[in-house]
Amino acid sequence: MEQSSCTVVDAQETFSRAREQTLIESVKGGDTLAYHELYDAHVKRVYALCYRLTGDKALAEDATQEVFIQLWRKISNFTGQSRFSTWLHSVAANVTVSYMRKQRGWFQRMFSIDESEAQYHAAPADAHSIDLEALIVRLPERARMVFVLHAIEGYRHEDIASMLGMAVGSSKAQFHRARQLLKAWMGYDED
Amino acid sequence: MTKTNFDDALKQQLDTLPEEKHPERDLWRGVALALENEADTSTAKPGWRSGWAAMAASVALIAMVSWYSLQQPSGPTEPSAITGEALVQALSQQHEQQKQALLVEYTDTPALADNWQQQLDELDDAAAAIKAALAEDPDNPALLRMLQNVYQQQITLIERVHAPKWQRI
Repeated sequence: MEQSSCTVVDAQETFSRAREQTLIESVKGGDTLAYHELYDAHVKRVYALCYRLTGDKALAEDATQEVFIQLWRKISNFTGQSRFSTWLHSVAANVTVSYMRKQRGWFQRMFSIDESEAQYHAAPADAHSIDLEALIVRLPERARMVFVLHAIEGYRHEDIASMLGMAVGSSKAQFHRARQLLKAWMGYDED
Repeated sequence: MTKTNFDDALKQQLDTLPEEKHPERDLWRGVALALENEADTSTAKPGWRSGWAAMAASVALIAMVSWYSLQQPSGPTEPSAITGEALVQALSQQHEQQKQALLVEYTDTPALADNWQQQLDELDDAAAAIKAALAEDPDNPALLRMLQNVYQQQITLIERVHAPKWQRI
């Protein structure tokens, strides 16, 4: 019984992938109706990434639109060697970082006295009611971006440093900072 | 609480983070408008127009393939209450009524693509080519299916450019 349900799941996954491949080929040929379908299938995952990186709903929505505008131009670069969702996530991360650079001035954002006052606010009292996403959004910008890219998206510090234009050591330091803040906010003692 | 507890708790929290998040406003319209503008300003990049032209061309191609495959004597044709020219006429008449009813329904609804009528005309051309072939071979089931397919594509086009998914929510 279990084996037959696995077969159905496998078949559905195969069908979904084949359908996605067909859509991608149609989009490469300039079919915007197929692109709408592809957008519907992926917009929520892209938006989740944009929201965590930007920490701001309006900025995340604008960045998501920018991702799908850029994707339309870049999709011919997708060779099918990796899963489309993996490739799209990589495009989305790069486009969002680039988009954030243009907004309010990258220099100001990256080198101003570290911005968010949220880090000084009281921590949630109950560890069981922790909303990690809300805490991530409260992180200072550099720490948040590094934490999202490393802990959630699985990028190496070397790649993050290259994406964000910082030293590898700075990426590691920002990750440590994010962890320490989250630790305090989640109500855990200092080391 | 210890460092180990925190590591475990953080990992657990990360594992349960939702992969998806729903944006509060519709983002597709802005994307579609940007793509439309891009198609208007660039002749090199395939856009709305060539997309539908390609579809019309593929319809014609499929018609040709079906035509040749059905020339092989593989079995009896399906029985039908009406056949030949009468069937083509009935099919066309029914489609025209449905198309006109939709066009009237969407008279005051803005279309997502500004060249959809051109796309409709291209499909009309494809239908005319198939009907010309049917005039020579009125009972060819493959051609009849292709005509039906082109008509269905016109209906889908009218519906999708006037009521895309993001408006139906």
